[in-house]
Amino acid sequence: MRVILMLIKKEFLQVYRNKLLMSILIVAPLVQFVIFPFTADYEIKVVKIGFIDSDHSSLTRQMVEKFTYSPYFINYGFIESRDQGEALMMQDKVDFIIEFPSHFEKDLMNGLSPQLAITANAINSVKAGIGSGYIKNVISSFFNEQKEGLANRSAQPANVSISKVYWYNEQLNYKNLIVPGILVILVTLIGAYVTALNIVREKEIGTIEQMNVSPIKKWHFLLGKMIPFWILGMVEFIIGLLLMKFIFGISVQGSVGALLLCTSVYLLVMLGLGFFISLVSRNQLQAMFIVFFLFVVFVLMSGLFTPTEGMPQWAKYINYANPMSFFMEIIKLIVMKGAGLMDVMKPLITLFVMSVFINSAALLSYSEKKK
Amino acid sequence: MYSIEVENLTKKFGHFTAVNNITFQVKKGEIFGFLGANGAGKTTAMKMMCGLLLPTSGKAKIAGFDLNAESKLIKQQIGYMSQRFSLYDDLTILENMKLFGVIYNIPRRILNDRIEEQLTELKMFEIKDLLVNEIPLGWKQRLAFATAMLHHPQIVFLDEPTSGVDPIVRREFWSLIYKAASQGITIFVTTHYMDEASYCERISIMAEGSVQLLGTPTELKQQMGVATIDDLFVKFVKR
Repeated sequence: MRVILMLIKKEFLQVYRNKLLMSILIVAPLVQFVIFPFTADYEIKVVKIGFIDSDHSSLTRQMVEKFTYSPYFINYGFIESRDQGEALMMQDKVDFIIEFPSHFEKDLMNGLSPQLAITANAINSVKAGIGSGYIKNVISSFFNEQKEGLANRSAQPANVSISKVYWYNEQLNYKNLIVPGILVILVTLIGAYVTALNIVREKEIGTIEQMNVSPIKKWHFLLGKMIPFWILGMVEFIIGLLLMKFIFGISVQGSVGALLLCTSVYLLVMLGLGFFISLVSRNQLQAMFIVFFLFVVFVLMSGLFTPTEGMPQWAKYINYANPMSFFMEIIKLIVMKGAGLMDVMKPLITLFVMSVFINSAALLSYSEKKK
Repeated sequence: MYSIEVENLTKKFGHFTAVNNITFQVKKGEIFGFLGANGAGKTTAMKMMCGLLLPTSGKAKIAGFDLNAESKLIKQQIGYMSQRFSLYDDLTILENMKLFGVIYNIPRRILNDRIEEQLTELKMFEIKDLLVNEIPLGWKQRLAFATAMLHHPQIVFLDEPTSGVDPIVRREFWSLIYKAASQGITIFVTTHYMDEASYCERISIMAEGSVQLLGTPTELKQQMGVATIDDLFVKFVKR
């Protein structure tokens, strides 16, 4: 016990005196929280739109005007021909072209179903998808407004109105997802990165040899490394939760106790992983490369940027080995859906099993004696 | 009474044999110089004796314990100072000594007394709260030696303890070694300085993984018909 306490004290002294690490620990969460959520945003705020109007009717003009008023659209104006439209799209002057066929108004009034074409630049498929959603909304609300006027006519165009209610994130605010996601990234980096680099550094400067020649027990050494970084990770997580609340007004809907418990187990997985990586790397560069590689895979498959449900089956199997996807699921459940401990039992137990596995593997492969 | 008995100790890295079947004994309280050209296998041999490296074959008894079976027990009985300085640079002198004292399970009160005693002897008591990276190399090395001695080991392994420091610091360092040896501690030291080799009671010269010569400096000089250990070393390595 005395040995472990001494090792913890040593580690905190070293962290405290390491100005670079200290500033990373303090600045990283602030920067991530203040900058990232505003830049990593799926909401499309500027859609450039142009019109090919072969009808030249009052109806089409009114509709174009409707787009002009919307803050989400920049109206390029009328385009002469499809060729010109294509050229404009090549130059990125427009993202969408709406084409009204001739006799659009007349056909509509006569009960025919005239078609209007929306052409989208789909290089950015997200923008194309979301943008065409916006356009459909504008058009359908336009027809709703026209309904009164058109009601007098015998042939009334069919009005399909779709009403949507989004649960758990009523405004479909992307920040509600990305901010908790950043919390996950933060905890992962502190856990795996800092631990791996710290131990490899001791290898590089030779102090680990001085430890290995001493009668210190290896689980003492392991705990002496893990406890300090576990505490640091938890502190960072709590700072993150507070920033989330006070900068973005996102408060945890579910049980905070369950959230902290899950985080502490997830940290154990990451610390064990960091420890394991430090054992197989010879220098900090190697360790950094391995952590970076795993980190990218973890993040991209975690469900932060793309829903995991959309993955092919084989990828889902691979994802069972991705601790971050389980933690991301827990975070979503507790922070957004208001889940309690029982609701997250399954991913929590999975994380716990992972932590036992990776830490035993690290402990077993750590040997004071080189082969 | 031997404190180190090495028998046919061998270390192979793949096809390369770093240490080839070495056998020798070191008496208790002896200052034993372990000489050899760069790459002769000195550090490898020493690391095996300290339990840092697994021998490929062979046996050894260190402080009366079997190297293969009782390496945990050996660790409490030995001190080790590696080729590169390996105390924590970002801890103070006092913090380093306390850390290693605790790791060697020295009871608190005894540890505090020993630290005070050592710091006074090293004339470092006033600067005990300086970070180790703020003190000169010669001081660091004496500090590392004092730290390796805190738990009163039976044997101290020193791997080129005085490389890179001036002759005055080296002399100071050797007075520490003599003092330790006079207390019955066995000193196992590697060095490149031939004047230091002549301070040793017995020396061995290693080449290509084997111990080629072993004896007192005087014996070896007579045996090879040379005047100085320097000549002995040069003549031997050229052979």
